[in-house]
Amino acid sequence: MTTRDLVLAALFAAIIVALGLVPPIMLGFIPVPITAQSLGVMLAGVILGAKRGGFAVLLVLLLVAIGLPVLSGGRGGLATFASPTAGYLVGWFFAAVITGYCSERFVDRSQSGIVQITGFFLAALLGGVVVDHALGIFYLAYVTGTGLLTAFIGDLSFVPGDVLKAMIAALAGRAVMVGYPLLPQRA
Amino acid sequence: MKTLYVEGDTFLHRLSPRAKLLGLAALSLVLFLIHSPAVLSVAALLGGIVYSSLRLGWRQSWLRLRPILLTIAIVAIFTLILNGREDALIVVTRLTALALFAATVTATTSTGDFIDEITRLAMPLERLGLVRAADIGLAIGLVIRFVPEILSRYQAIRDAHRARGLKVRPLTVAVPLIILTLKNADEIAAAIDARGIRAQK
Repeated sequence: MTTRDLVLAALFAAIIVALGLVPPIMLGFIPVPITAQSLGVMLAGVILGAKRGGFAVLLVLLLVAIGLPVLSGGRGGLATFASPTAGYLVGWFFAAVITGYCSERFVDRSQSGIVQITGFFLAALLGGVVVDHALGIFYLAYVTGTGLLTAFIGDLSFVPGDVLKAMIAALAGRAVMVGYPLLPQRA
Repeated sequence: MKTLYVEGDTFLHRLSPRAKLLGLAALSLVLFLIHSPAVLSVAALLGGIVYSSLRLGWRQSWLRLRPILLTIAIVAIFTLILNGREDALIVVTRLTALALFAATVTATTSTGDFIDEITRLAMPLERLGLVRAADIGLAIGLVIRFVPEILSRYQAIRDAHRARGLKVRPLTVAVPLIILTLKNADEIAAAIDARGIRAQK
């Protein structure tokens, strides 16, 4: 990893932390405030790719583990990993890596805008929604012993919000790619 | 950023971070193997005693533990409805015990000690050529250094929205925030290299 890649990952980790500290932002068309931190995880994959994006999220998780209250609502410390919802948190790392890997495969600078946005959207959907929620559901079901189906039904209420975040991540990813062309997609 | 570490000189403060982390990992394994509510209740009680030995006071303790205790409570209520009393009791006692011991480790280990320990733990990975162990400490330092800057940048972007009568939207905030922040990377990387902080060994 070059120094520049290390710095990019660290800066993105700082962005994810900062997104947890800002008040929830309202979406334009539906009156639901979104917490921006899991959006930051998808953005890390979409914008930095698998390696650097994964490292950025790993840094955030490390900060949580060493006792800094960097998660939204001032959560942090090792106790966070003892929570029944810890699967979603650990899943962030895999979400960023899978989103990054898929973004690198699906999206190319030569494609048209709409294809790029669709590619980023599918990548964020796969990593940030499918993978992260699957891990969250498995751990929740394991901890509580309620069975996968119940955990899955409980999880469903969070899916629409995260699909919207994947959409935002896709639009933002394409905008950053156009607005900051010096950033190589792959590390 | 205020850490969750609490200054002190108890036995747990003096214990090495590695011993605490290994102890916590072992404890979590044991807690998940035990299925007796009585034993788990004793474990939760012990966790409470150890945590209270830090003398944080009720208010501080509540503020620190509130988010995780609320999550445990919600999950326990669902378990109670779906699986009955026995399972709900196991979930509550097991997770509360784990949360209390984990919070104790967090409160008795300083950020610096943790970073040193992580760097040492990453040494085998360095030998495999996966990461450079010293990079982890450097990266953590960078994150802590740049969070306040990104927050003030966020405020500037929000003010710019207001000045133009625009609503603050996730997309219109995230894009300039990310581009402005990542554009700094070259300068920061050059500064790090110029100082030889990541010198080749």
